[in-house]
Amino acid sequence: MSARGERVRAAVAAADYARLIAAIPYAGYLGIGVEHDGEARRYRMPYRDELIGNARKSALHGGTVAGFLELAMQLDVLIAEAQPRLPYAIDFAIDYWRSAGPHDCIADCRLIRSGRRLAQVQAECWQQSRDTPVAFARADFLLRAFDDDDTTPAPGD
Amino acid sequence: MGEDIDKRDPAVRETIAGRFNRMIPHNQAIGLQVADVAGERIRTTLAYRADFLGDPEAGLWHTAIGTTAADSTCGLAVFLAISGLESVATIDLRMDYLRPAVAGRALEIEAECYHVTQCVAFAEATLHQGDRERPTARCTAAFMRTGRSVLA
Repeated sequence: MSARGERVRAAVAAADYARLIAAIPYAGYLGIGVEHDGEARRYRMPYRDELIGNARKSALHGGTVAGFLELAMQLDVLIAEAQPRLPYAIDFAIDYWRSAGPHDCIADCRLIRSGRRLAQVQAECWQQSRDTPVAFARADFLLRAFDDDDTTPAPGD
Repeated sequence: MGEDIDKRDPAVRETIAGRFNRMIPHNQAIGLQVADVAGERIRTTLAYRADFLGDPEAGLWHTAIGTTAADSTCGLAVFLAISGLESVATIDLRMDYLRPAVAGRALEIEAECYHVTQCVAFAEATLHQGDRERPTARCTAAFMRTGRSVLA
């Protein structure tokens, strides 16, 4: 296993999520954190002005909500499946249900299916109340076995 | 600019492109630049930053930053395709990640609004790193026409 794979696996095993996030620069840029709500994992993107997409309406940029949900799902697969590397996203789709206001975003993920090579995940994003979710997303990820974690993912090449 | 603007006028398109980014703080934050709005198929550029990486060891961009850029670029393509100053909002968006984008090189986003109805506009985008025959991702998105002015 590569040194990075070893570090990622150690961070997952120790539930050292800050170290996990630090290994993914874009997750760090969005400020994503992993939290626990009882048994369930939950993901948070703290509000900051840079995430605004519409200054007149103080609405978050839809792309930041999409990016947050993709990362939350990816992290959830990484942690649940103890992957040596970030699972490779094949595709991603998002439905916007409400405009996201200038508040923290929280994501709950649901790992629908996880096979030998493919993980299929859904996520919902909400802000101040879980009863009024702002977006729903789904994504598929390629999983990697521990013995082939040094191969660079390159679907299509 | 009023509701009677002619969005076929190149000068008007350039003005809209300039305002587009100033009005969207997150686009400024990530450095998304409008490169070409002369034709129906418009282009933006996102310069490489280490912050955008998903896998620093392999030197690959994170796929999700492309989603933000695609959403913005499709939105601009739609705004330029409909009349007046009506604002639009993304209803849904899908990304297919065809191959990884590599570190050190910019991401180019080409987008086109290919169908407009009374209430909805449909757009698609292709993301690449200089060779459009080797796209890193494809995006399709639907936008709601809000009926409200962007200045309201």
